[in-house]
Amino acid sequence: MLNKLTVKQALEGLKKKEFTSVELVTACFDQIEKHDEKIQAFVTLVKDRALDEAKRADELIAKEGEKAFDKKPLLGIPYAAKDNYSTKGIKTTASSKVLENYIPPFESTVTKRLNNAGAIMIGKTNMDAFAHGCSTETSDFFTTKNPWDTKKVPGGSSGGSSAAVASDMCLFAIGSETGGSIRDPASWCGVTGLKPSYGRVSRYGVVAMASSTDSPGPITKTVEDTALVLEVMAGKDPMDATSSLGKIDKYSEEIQKFNLKGVKIGKPKSYFEMELENDTKEKVEEAVKKFEELGAEIVDVDLLSPKYSIAVYTILQRSEVSSNLSRLDGIRYGNERNAFGFEAKKRIMLGTYVLSAGYYDAYYAKAQKVRTLIINDFNKVFEKVDLLIAPSMPCVALNIGESAKSAMFGEMMDVLNEPSCIAGICGVTVPCGFASSLPVGVQIIGRMNDEKSILGAVNKYQESTNFHKEKPNL
Amino acid sequence: MPSAKITKEQVKHIAKLAKLEVSGEEERFAELLSDTLDYIEILNELDTSKVSETYQVTGLTNVYQKDDENKATITQKEALSNAKEVKGGLIVTKGVFENR
Repeated sequence: MLNKLTVKQALEGLKKKEFTSVELVTACFDQIEKHDEKIQAFVTLVKDRALDEAKRADELIAKEGEKAFDKKPLLGIPYAAKDNYSTKGIKTTASSKVLENYIPPFESTVTKRLNNAGAIMIGKTNMDAFAHGCSTETSDFFTTKNPWDTKKVPGGSSGGSSAAVASDMCLFAIGSETGGSIRDPASWCGVTGLKPSYGRVSRYGVVAMASSTDSPGPITKTVEDTALVLEVMAGKDPMDATSSLGKIDKYSEEIQKFNLKGVKIGKPKSYFEMELENDTKEKVEEAVKKFEELGAEIVDVDLLSPKYSIAVYTILQRSEVSSNLSRLDGIRYGNERNAFGFEAKKRIMLGTYVLSAGYYDAYYAKAQKVRTLIINDFNKVFEKVDLLIAPSMPCVALNIGESAKSAMFGEMMDVLNEPSCIAGICGVTVPCGFASSLPVGVQIIGRMNDEKSILGAVNKYQESTNFHKEKPNL
Repeated sequence: MPSAKITKEQVKHIAKLAKLEVSGEEERFAELLSDTLDYIEILNELDTSKVSETYQVTGLTNVYQKDDENKATITQKEALSNAKEVKGGLIVTKGVFENR
């Protein structure tokens, strides 16, 4: 049962010596052995290695007591990493055939920071291959199942990480979002997912998708845990020239100080006018009311329709994908290019087309100009309000098999996440109820690098609701 | 924005440029790529004559590493560890003019 704990609860227990890190890690592997045959959240497991690290963590706790946590704030806490984080000596496939045997000789900044903070990586999670999708169905290996209903997809591309957290196979997980890939599966799996501002968390060592929007972030059971993990992950990294300068807030303390009274939350009409499933809309409207009850002032605001963001995102993402994946030559590492799956080929080809001479201005430059419009639009609205509220997804988790039906399925599903991704601002989804027995998520979006406010707001929401405590019947 | 309809021949050409294998799937790709290009024409509804492009959102410029900031390196053995074929400390690859 220790696997069911939040990061915060586990840290308290470890400090008080109520249980050991070995027991925590063992509980997670017991859960994985019991349920992962059905859920298929993991691509690779590293049990022996994780248990060794847990033993060392326990020794350190025995020797230094609570002091051990000053330098290592996540000491002994088991986590799962999306399989696009390079992990030195551990296979990193991005769920693709091209990289099916690739073992990185270096470590990503995020996993290095987590490991240095004492967290224990227990395995790598399934994803859409190269993060191209929102269902894990484009994984070249298998489809992860939604823990709430195994006939449904978990969302994606960080579907394995979200399913692993939802089914208590780890205490937290890390994912990455380029156009919705954290908020989408977190919402469909009923967990908390943060897309940090672009540049807030280093991209070094994360298999590149669209470099101008790739944002690594945590997937957790509570907002308090998001804060604890983010304060370890975030910050300037000399290895990523686009990582933001500036102070990292002590998020776990900031969210406790946050007060919703007097905070203006904008409700963008254009988001609520998108094609939303009725039950989903209803649950999100209830969440809006809850924020109002808690003291926030809800203000209707106008924002550019997210439908334009679908087009901008599609052009930018395909372009950057075609460039980023051109490094996979099958010579230095990885298999040859004929190992690319259908989805990756489709995206590389569209990117190659829109970047080619004669089309560049019409597509790529046009999209980058509309990106400016989207950023200006957000800036204007943030002069009037502090935060924005919206549904995280237009509907609840879909059946396995739906995603193959459209050329831009992922883009359409992530329509409510793409504008903030394109603008590089931050957003967080938390569970806000159930529709047809499946989780619904509501998101709060904030200004660039204002993670402390969005987390503060959803933390207040979680303090007075219980949706995040609901667990799937595995 | 040109009204684009991608043909099977164009798919073959693009695939060659991107070094991808698409035989047997040209038609499906042509259809999906055309659908996508059709959708993104929606951007023509927006007037962008007075704005410039945003290529990156952080506003950072001229980011350099300090001399001592980055000591990361990997050994030759590590650098070669994922190559299919290695000879004399080098990666073996297909020749440009001949196969080997």
